[in-house]
Amino acid sequence: MAPILEGRNISVTFGGALRKVEAVKNVDVSLEPGQTIGIVGESGSGKSTLARVLAGIQVPTFGEVSYEGKNIWKGKVAYPGEMRKKVQMVFQDPYESLNPRMLAVQAVTEAVSFHQKVSGKEAQNIALDLLERMGILRQDAIKLPRALSGGQRQRVSVARALSANPEVLIADEPTSAIDQSAQSQLLSLFNELIDGGLSIILVSHDLGVIRYLTERVYVMESGNFVEVGDTAQIFNNPQMEYTQKLISSIPGHINKNR
Amino acid sequence: MTGKELLVDIDSVQITVKLSRTRRLQIVDYASMQVHRGEMMGLIGESGSGKTMLCRGFTGTLGRRNAFISGGKIMFDGIDLVQAKADVWRSVRGKKIGYVPQSALAGSNPVLTIGAQLREALKNDKELDRDAMRKRAMELLEIVQIRRPDIVMKQYPYQLSGGMKQRVMIACAIALNPDLIVADEPTTGLDVTVQAEIMRLLKNIRSEFNTAIILVSHDLPLINDVCDRITVMHAGATVETLPSSEIEKSKHPYTIALYKSRIDLAPPRGDLITIKGQPPSVGGWQEGCRFNQRCDFVTDACLKGPHPLYLQLKPGHQTTCINHASIPHKVGSH
Repeated sequence: MAPILEGRNISVTFGGALRKVEAVKNVDVSLEPGQTIGIVGESGSGKSTLARVLAGIQVPTFGEVSYEGKNIWKGKVAYPGEMRKKVQMVFQDPYESLNPRMLAVQAVTEAVSFHQKVSGKEAQNIALDLLERMGILRQDAIKLPRALSGGQRQRVSVARALSANPEVLIADEPTSAIDQSAQSQLLSLFNELIDGGLSIILVSHDLGVIRYLTERVYVMESGNFVEVGDTAQIFNNPQMEYTQKLISSIPGHINKNR
Repeated sequence: MTGKELLVDIDSVQITVKLSRTRRLQIVDYASMQVHRGEMMGLIGESGSGKTMLCRGFTGTLGRRNAFISGGKIMFDGIDLVQAKADVWRSVRGKKIGYVPQSALAGSNPVLTIGAQLREALKNDKELDRDAMRKRAMELLEIVQIRRPDIVMKQYPYQLSGGMKQRVMIACAIALNPDLIVADEPTTGLDVTVQAEIMRLLKNIRSEFNTAIILVSHDLPLINDVCDRITVMHAGATVETLPSSEIEKSKHPYTIALYKSRIDLAPPRGDLITIKGQPPSVGGWQEGCRFNQRCDFVTDACLKGPHPLYLQLKPGHQTTCINHASIPHKVGSH
């Protein structure tokens, strides 16, 4: 199948001539429609940078990102026009990615109005429906972010991303800042989204989440992919020492065949 | 747990926060826990369950958050920490109880070198002169497995990685050979590989110096892996204490639900068992058992009266669930 989102020969270099940091070194990623892929690695491995490149937030130093075969960059604009709606991102920290002075429903309504040509009243109804789908009830939708739990805030962020009816969702560590019970609720939500046909790129250092949700996994170490393959295969039979180390570090040892 | 000397005895502790001159909010209303010498106790709970506040009770720093212990007692090695005055705290804090804060970044002083911070931690030890202090500081960095301690001594926190900073914080906590280390989510925000190293380090310290450790986390698989026993907190109350090895024989629906919602037990993309609803908001607790809105085994008796107290099932295993006898013996698996 032709990939829906593809990155080729992506390199990102930060810093000037004297102190260069190569965050991402010449990597290829591709996401097929309906597929869920995972990018794992330690902090500093370049996984977030790569996600930002794919989302069009970070300009790659080299390489090309294409959506349905078309380059996402048009001059200085990433995802021009209608393309912008197709790829959306959810960020790591639900405590800082929402406007503290906007009610949850306002935050989502704002996103709905931005992406869809509807009246204010309609936008609000769409927002409330979206929040309900995310498991946020009406009584919680009229709260400020500070009155919501981390898991609820993250679901508001997901609702904002989904307000554009995207084809691809890029999630950068969506579960790392929330409690375990909230995490399982959020993962169930992602599960439903995958069943609904959404393609997802999941960036995480939590291999449990990656194993649970993804079909294919890219293991990243200092800007390179050290191992790429089917999730089940990599978890059952990791080839590289780095992958083995990552897997053996998981509390509860996930690699036991279950 | 017989034969081991009791080090910490927390009995029905209540913690209250002063919101204003007249407004009070009780954030912990029933915390009970016993820790023995050399034991590694895991304290687990969702955010807002009061686990960090309970830890602050050990360091005498509740006052800084405008909170105070409003009931119950905390006995530590024969010292009553609830009644303790400043001079008692001075002899306990650091010397007998070491504290590893949640965020290594916030825990260290950004304008002091690592060496200076370690010396500060050692200052309570009057027998050491400057040279001896330096030697001991180097020794501490070696214990926490920092390579090239001579260089690190002269560095500032910003020059170190998150894992190294947390190692330095642990070095500060063990500087005066305390009997107890309280580690409040020491690996939050660190990579899994670094987390595994820090856990190995804490275990080594425990076995080498026979230090008791209270490890606070919201990660059940982690706690279950490294600790001897687990205490579970939910909405300001401890609801169960049990040996790690018997987690599958838990007798509290909240512990069972936490255990079952582990994603590593679920097949890929399979049904996840989730705990329904949200934890009750701090202080806004309902009557009866506070888990009654989220519980699968709820009965009428759970809806009334004050929060249930600990029932001793057998040595080392306590639960507050009044229906513990009717909970299936084996936790259902996937």
